[in-house]
Amino acid sequence: MSAIFGNFFMAVRGIGSNWLRTFLTMLGVLIGVASVIVLLAIGTGSSQSIEKSIQSLGSNTLTVFSGSRSGSSSGTQIRNSTLNIASVTALSSSVNDPDVKSVSPVVTTSLSATYDGTSYTTSVIGSTSSYLTAENYTVSAGRSISHSDVVNHAQVIDIGSSVASALFATGSDPLGKQVQLGSSDFTIVGLLASKGSSGLSNEDAVVIAPYTAVQDQLTGESQSFSELLVQGKSSSTLSLAESEVESTLASLNDTTVSSLPFTVIDSASLLTAATSSSKTFTALLGWMAAVSLLVGAIGVMNIMLVTVTERTREIGIRKAIGARKVIILTQFLIESMVISFLGGICGVFAGILVSRFKIDGVKPVLASYSIPLALGVAISVGIVAGFYPAYRAASLRPIDALRYE
Amino acid sequence: MSHVTSPTPIIAMKDIVKSYMMGEVEVLATRGISLSVQKGEFVAIMGMSGSGKSTLMNIIGCLDVPTSGHYRLDGVNIRHLDDRALSQIRNKKIGFVFQGFNLISRMAAIQNVELPMAYAGVRTKERRKRALAALNMVGLSDRLDHFSSELSGGQQQRVAIARAMCTNPALILADEPTGNLDSRSSAELMTLFSGLHDQGRTIVMITHEPDIAEYASRVVILRDGAIVSDKPQSSSRAVSYELEMSGAPLLGQVRAQD
Repeated sequence: MSAIFGNFFMAVRGIGSNWLRTFLTMLGVLIGVASVIVLLAIGTGSSQSIEKSIQSLGSNTLTVFSGSRSGSSSGTQIRNSTLNIASVTALSSSVNDPDVKSVSPVVTTSLSATYDGTSYTTSVIGSTSSYLTAENYTVSAGRSISHSDVVNHAQVIDIGSSVASALFATGSDPLGKQVQLGSSDFTIVGLLASKGSSGLSNEDAVVIAPYTAVQDQLTGESQSFSELLVQGKSSSTLSLAESEVESTLASLNDTTVSSLPFTVIDSASLLTAATSSSKTFTALLGWMAAVSLLVGAIGVMNIMLVTVTERTREIGIRKAIGARKVIILTQFLIESMVISFLGGICGVFAGILVSRFKIDGVKPVLASYSIPLALGVAISVGIVAGFYPAYRAASLRPIDALRYE
Repeated sequence: MSHVTSPTPIIAMKDIVKSYMMGEVEVLATRGISLSVQKGEFVAIMGMSGSGKSTLMNIIGCLDVPTSGHYRLDGVNIRHLDDRALSQIRNKKIGFVFQGFNLISRMAAIQNVELPMAYAGVRTKERRKRALAALNMVGLSDRLDHFSSELSGGQQQRVAIARAMCTNPALILADEPTGNLDSRSSAELMTLFSGLHDQGRTIVMITHEPDIAEYASRVVILRDGAIVSDKPQSSSRAVSYELEMSGAPLLGQVRAQD
């Protein structure tokens, strides 16, 4: 046992005797381990931000789009395939759709908002006050657009925090100011609290107005909506609400659910899809990192082979004076394990350090499992990459090794 | 075999044959060597290159196993021992002194001396004590922490002797110990070996230098893988080695002695 313990110091001395080479070898493991940690952190960070942004869409909402899910619905005579106020009224009926809490018609466009010579391109959403609730927007100052604004085609808007900060100097109060959207002036009546940035789109770069005013002034569309935002009563009854919405729309359009000229998407399935794709993304990053760790492992093995060759004579001496095979084996194994473990530790610190910075717009989030994983792999790398060279050293015949020049 | 008198010789070899395959041809490095060395003897094994003395030294040192024949080292039968057992035999029974010193350059003198004891499982304190005593005996107590690059050839070889001594082996096996030394260092080293011999140590030394062989109490001469002469030192002189090693004239006489 003491021989093996002594072996450890022998190994450390061996490593120290050629520190530059040892450092370069360790660098391979270091980069491998650090990239495992950083890439997994990027994967985790981006999947968290995707989840957050989907959650901020509203957790129990359905979105109804114009257009068939199967793409073509030829053969069926569609009399009215647009989403209009009749659809909203039908879906709002508590008799046919008991699990629907609210239905918000949505008209969207993208425009330049101008105030006092400053312009800012933003998405403009024409809807009703229920849209704000369904989309989890809260009003931080002023008021939200109201039912009477919709009825009166009032040119009033609630603006998102990005729009406010782009158009107005800090300290000035945007409430009551007139903003030019397209060729019309709208009055700011409310400020929306920031929903925070998300990986997908900036949900604070938004202007919300009564859909009637948007149709009148901006889109020129007469009666149709680009989508309907349906809020379910609870997330557990969302699938019930979805089938209710589909059958209501089918009967309204004199067609069957299967040939419905609309698509209904629920936010939960969107979340599931996004989560699974971000998991794939994380796994892909993990594999890329694993490849760089593999390269590091090859580096360790290479240098251990060189070391064994260089020290053939030393191995011969050790064997001649009585070192057993297992002693030589452990000496070189410990050496490669120390190299990869030190490289691994430095890699963990490097990985944690790099993960503190925002990379390509993604804030990396350290995955708790990545550190023990990377360290475990680093030590395994030491064992696996060190084993063959160590075994070769241990198997040398002392007379051959002693004769080696 | 006039030397086989004690019941437990340190070396007891009978008909040792070692053959190698050189491509398709079988080469006999030793052709049936029988040798017995008693405790306390100082034997010089002489021979020219190709005489089989290196092969014999490898077999005596348990670095190699014979193709056939019997070999007992200090009563232990070497045939059929595995790698691990041979390591232990080398560690416990033999102290090696090589021509090229063979110290581990990354380790200080005292660490080199301690190494075989570490492999034998001797505790650290005891190890240090014995290493200090051994280095003191070879006159290097002021060079404990020097590395081999900081020591002269003679000093390195004395460290090697200290390393060979410290496990208290049954046999000290020296392979051309003065081969890399100047004549003054050689004389100093041989005085050291003579001192060990006087203390009752058993020493087998391979050499091709007659004046080095003179320090031994018995001289064995090899030629073509066989023993051609085996005499106590008193009956031989350096001049006669030269004759015997150089060729035939004395062969008949040697055969007669066998």
